[in-house]
Amino acid sequence: MTHQIELSAVNKYYGAYHALKDIDLSIRKGSFVALVGPSGCGKSTLLRSLAGLETISSGDLVIAGKRMNGVPPRKRDLAMVFQSYALYPHMTVEQNLTYSLKINGVRKAERQRAAADVAAITGLSNLLHRYPRELSGGQRQRVAMSRAIIRNPQAFLFDEPLSNLDAALRVHMRKEIRALHDRLGATSVYVTHDQVEAMTMADHVVVMRNGIIEQQGKPLDLYDRPANRFVAGFIGSPAMNFIPARSTPDGRALVLDIADPQTVDLGCPLPAGRALIVGIRPEHLTLAAADAVGFKVDVATVETTGAATFITTATTPEIVIALNGRSVVTAGETIRLTFAASNVHLFDAETEQSLK
Amino acid sequence: MKRVFSSVTDGRGFDLVLVGVPFTFLLALAGLPLLYNILMSFQEVDMFSLASVIRPFVGFKNYVDLFTEPETISILKNTVIFVVGSIAGQFLVGFSLALFFWINFPGASWLRGLFLVSWVMPGLVVGAIWNWILSGDFGVLNFLLQQTGLVGGNIFWRSDPNFSLWAVILANIWLGTSFNMILLATGLAAIPADLYEAAEMDGANAWQRFWTITLPMMRSTIGAIIALGLIFTLQQFDLFAAITDGGPNNSSNVAQYWAWDLSFRQYDFGKGATISVIMTVFVMFAATVYVRSTRHEVRG
Repeated sequence: MTHQIELSAVNKYYGAYHALKDIDLSIRKGSFVALVGPSGCGKSTLLRSLAGLETISSGDLVIAGKRMNGVPPRKRDLAMVFQSYALYPHMTVEQNLTYSLKINGVRKAERQRAAADVAAITGLSNLLHRYPRELSGGQRQRVAMSRAIIRNPQAFLFDEPLSNLDAALRVHMRKEIRALHDRLGATSVYVTHDQVEAMTMADHVVVMRNGIIEQQGKPLDLYDRPANRFVAGFIGSPAMNFIPARSTPDGRALVLDIADPQTVDLGCPLPAGRALIVGIRPEHLTLAAADAVGFKVDVATVETTGAATFITTATTPEIVIALNGRSVVTAGETIRLTFAASNVHLFDAETEQSLK
Repeated sequence: MKRVFSSVTDGRGFDLVLVGVPFTFLLALAGLPLLYNILMSFQEVDMFSLASVIRPFVGFKNYVDLFTEPETISILKNTVIFVVGSIAGQFLVGFSLALFFWINFPGASWLRGLFLVSWVMPGLVVGAIWNWILSGDFGVLNFLLQQTGLVGGNIFWRSDPNFSLWAVILANIWLGTSFNMILLATGLAAIPADLYEAAEMDGANAWQRFWTITLPMMRSTIGAIIALGLIFTLQQFDLFAAITDGGPNNSSNVAQYWAWDLSFRQYDFGKGATISVIMTVFVMFAATVYVRSTRHEVRG
């Protein structure tokens, strides 16, 4: 048994609204899977369907080898960390942690020992007798995590657990959750709208839009080989530049459709005479020497963070260039840009699917 | 004059005016009558000394006399039965209805609002309606009880000493249920839905969720509703006037009705005031419970 969770042809309807469309997904035991996508893409619905808080309309849902379609949440042996944490406000931290054990009839002494063990892992040992209202946001988050850990479930489900924390704490908790996952060797399914979270935490990223899985794979595979324009634009920050273009009839060069159309010779064969979208990441664009292969653009703004400089062009569509360190380029200047042919992504203008 | 005017324009002293106006109002219309009532309970008051404030001081004589009267114990017992029976009935039916409407079927909130009709009706009207329902010869309650085979003969609800108090309790439960239901429904609606989802994931079935989430989260609401119930039932007067008049033979008489009866029918103002003072102590207690339970609301 290598697959902990398997979904095949799962559909979910809310009335006439088709929330999940033919979802096929296999989650390996012990892996960390991130479901990522814009709001309304169905990622939360998918997670809640795994949990049993929503019932799927058709398809098969198998958890640890058992078909779970109509099984109520309490019999699925999954633990969930909610976006709001959903701590029981009338219970102390210890009671929150041991609620599931109490429900299952575990003796008090044993419950307390389990709570102490988990609290030691998550750093809550001196907070066990506090109430949730007496805790900070980060501490509540830890309680929510601990409440899941104490159950030793088939899998952990996370529903945007970091979205209520401030930026610094979020980065910290990101590492902590991943470290916990590795330590417990548990299967985790993590929903987020933040692609950085998905990229940094997960072994396997599932990008969703409008109820379908657009692409899934290892984080860097999605970055290097996006299957379509949506995934290309969603993964990576700052986002990939998209420039409408047309390949020349001989298929040797690209005509970029910016300001005044410019021809760039990629030095490799292209599908001849076709409308395309050229995708190129900001970090893959560099300033070109005056005589090198490239294209001319006017600079609109230059922003620098010290470690990096972001140049935005005055073209339509605008192009963002991310340069390491500092740059002498100023607003209003005309610069020449170049890129390596291997870093170019080509998408069909009509279907927006990758041509590589 | 100038100082008074500037105290309004610069705001200084204006806060005292804002506090002073309602405070004076409360003192004049609630505080003084209350104090006057306490004073009367220690005096000998009759028709001729009614107009004066200074009257013969008799110490605790009114209190001692009251407890030597033969009907006192039975009336106090009736009061306890009335209060406990009414609150229990109103709470249980109200909570059941609140839980029922919580299922949120189509039209639930509309129907729930309609239930308030019983609460906005004047007590005397409710009493009149229940007089018809409870009527021994042709009342619909007797008809239902006999048709379902629960009783063999007619029960004369209002004139049988065994049932007269329960006749008023029945009407009072009907009157107060919807108020209980609305407050409890508000309390239920304030419980975040994700707590139930978390409990469900943690393995709790519906019954366990009710006992471990719903009830504890409702604690402050339940405390408040019971304290308010105590206050409202001790104020209930109209139903006694309309249904049984405290009779027959004091079998449905309660403290608040007896206080009125002593003061304004038997003109024994001292004893009437004495009962009022005793009741005030109980209501104060209920008010303290109410204030404390609303202050100790559980917040996430």
